[in-house]
Amino acid sequence: MKILLVEDNERVSQFVVKGLQEAGHTTDHAANGRDGMFLAASEPYDVIIMDRMLPGEIDGLAIIEVLRKAGKRTPILILSALSEVDDRIRGLRSGGDDYLTKPFAFGELLARLDALHRRAQAINTEIPLTVGDLHMDPLTRKVTRGDRPIALQPREFKLLEYLMRHAGQVVTRTMLLENVWDYHFDPQTNVVDVHISKLRQKIDAEFERPLLRTVRNAGYTVTASD
Amino acid sequence: MIRSSALSLAVGYVVLGITALVLFAAPLWYAWQVTILEGRQEFLQADAQRLADVFRRDGADGLKSFIDTRVQMQIPGERILLLTDASMHPLAGNLSAWPATVPATPGNYTIKFNVRDRGLQTALVHVTPLGGGYNLLVGRDNALFAPLQTHFWYGLAAAIAVLSIAGLLIGLITRHALMSRIHSIRQTVSAIIHGDLKHRLPTQLNDDELNTLSRTINGMLEQIELLVHGVRNVSNSIAHDLRTPLAELRSRLEELALIRPPPEQMYSEIDGAVADVDRVIRIFDALLRLAEIDAGMRRSGFVSLDATALAENAVEFYAPAAELKNIHPLFRSDGPASVLGDPILLAQALSNLIDNALKYAPANGTIEVAVLKRGDGTAEISVADNGPGIRDSEKSKVVERFYRGDASRGTPGVGLGLSLVQAVAKLHGSTLSLSDREPGLRVSLTLPLDAADAPALATQTQDGAAGSVLASATLASS
Repeated sequence: MKILLVEDNERVSQFVVKGLQEAGHTTDHAANGRDGMFLAASEPYDVIIMDRMLPGEIDGLAIIEVLRKAGKRTPILILSALSEVDDRIRGLRSGGDDYLTKPFAFGELLARLDALHRRAQAINTEIPLTVGDLHMDPLTRKVTRGDRPIALQPREFKLLEYLMRHAGQVVTRTMLLENVWDYHFDPQTNVVDVHISKLRQKIDAEFERPLLRTVRNAGYTVTASD
Repeated sequence: MIRSSALSLAVGYVVLGITALVLFAAPLWYAWQVTILEGRQEFLQADAQRLADVFRRDGADGLKSFIDTRVQMQIPGERILLLTDASMHPLAGNLSAWPATVPATPGNYTIKFNVRDRGLQTALVHVTPLGGGYNLLVGRDNALFAPLQTHFWYGLAAAIAVLSIAGLLIGLITRHALMSRIHSIRQTVSAIIHGDLKHRLPTQLNDDELNTLSRTINGMLEQIELLVHGVRNVSNSIAHDLRTPLAELRSRLEELALIRPPPEQMYSEIDGAVADVDRVIRIFDALLRLAEIDAGMRRSGFVSLDATALAENAVEFYAPAAELKNIHPLFRSDGPASVLGDPILLAQALSNLIDNALKYAPANGTIEVAVLKRGDGTAEISVADNGPGIRDSEKSKVVERFYRGDASRGTPGVGLGLSLVQAVAKLHGSTLSLSDREPGLRVSLTLPLDAADAPALATQTQDGAAGSVLASATLASS
């Protein structure tokens, strides 16, 4: 992916740029709103990471609004220390696609960037999903592994569907909470892990190759490759 | 002193009273003067007429002797009579000379004259020219009316004096009473300003304005003390809760810098450090969320939502975790319950309650979540467990902001769970109620039902049976 990072904090920028490079992405960095605006408007990026509060006259939200008015549809992830729900709503209303509060875990950022990038390439919700020998038909709601049918409860189905739509990507607990349960808070305990292990029981337990894997310090991924 | 409100009010009333008195007396005085003057003029004219008749009948000499007799018979100075010839020389009467201020033309005049023993007097006189150059002057002194006038003026003056003195006195007394009470209020308030929040304004038993105000202010002070106490408590609480992970983090990093262990151990230490930081962040998030709810800003996010579905989802969300303790959460409801609220916050509150119940219920225990409509147009959301419960003495404190029960000290979580639920309940115009289940705790909050659901409720309660359409469902997954 080609990513633009607009962020004034030097330490955070270094950390993010380095991390993204290690994950195999090309990253441009702008340290103020003016440069950020210029780069975002002139270069083609897959995803833009935008800090909300920037030095100079132009802040993050203003840049997003200008880009959207100019017809730029590049997915934008807003990065901000403002964590209140209303701030989040304002950020998304201005044209941002996702909102991540500082401080954040790098794994979370990476997973959300992947999800944004994937979302931008229009997904057909009716096409059956396949990961290895695991099949899911969103229309008939049938799930099979190999030739064995797997019975899932509605929520388990939704959980697996989300994971399979992001197959090969890391999906964080927060992303699962937001997208599967629509919970926009941290439930403090490891409830998501329990749901995952129940799902794993159903799709992986009796098979040699596990498909649903835990990614340390980040989340989960469904993948057929090793 | 002048600016004292009680005194200036009294002065105002006095001035108003005097003005009213003067407005009352002035027309009275005027009417009186006019009536009396006219009466006296008529009287003098009649008198002069009678004397003129005597002059016409008996001539100048006849009138002279008539006047002499009249003068001798009366009190000196009561009536004035004077008859002069053409050269204004007095012929008869009790005036020694024609008064210089009075012309010899017919009409009424006021003169001043000296009478033996009685000093200077004023009198109204009537002049009538008789035939043959003779002039007649008839008068009557005003002494008769003087006492009446004097009484009138004295009465008015006395009334004004009484009004002024009484008014000012009452003003001073009121001011004194007011000042002494205000003084004690001021002393209390300055004690509070200097940081001693325990003080309360003095109040008496009666219900006058100052007392009502004092009581209201005392209520406010109560609340402020509670809040300040809460803030102090939370500061200590934050300090404690943040200090622990920060201390751990610090010693971890220090140890790493000092010992420089082999990479494997180093990585696990770094993971631990990240977990410590996450704990700190979580505490901050919880506090910020609380502050946000407290500011009441989220009320703009209220939508119509189904409390039953919300609770059912939360139960379903926690069911797998509960099964690890071999608990099968029970969910009861009497159908969809549409309420007005913030779905995110209500979900979080429910999640906190179920999380708590899960924390305290013993293995193989029970957790029961219910959303039931009640007769008064509200829906009650309750979460119950069969854990150790909360002692009565602690119940009120647990609901209080920022309190952490002794029992919760050792458990994971940031200890703001119930505070958050309480804040969410408050935002929705409800309060949290805790009751004993013996054993266990039942926490409930009531939300007003949306208009759409209220009529349905009425028919349902008419059915009579307790929990008529009670659908029980055990959410134990397969």
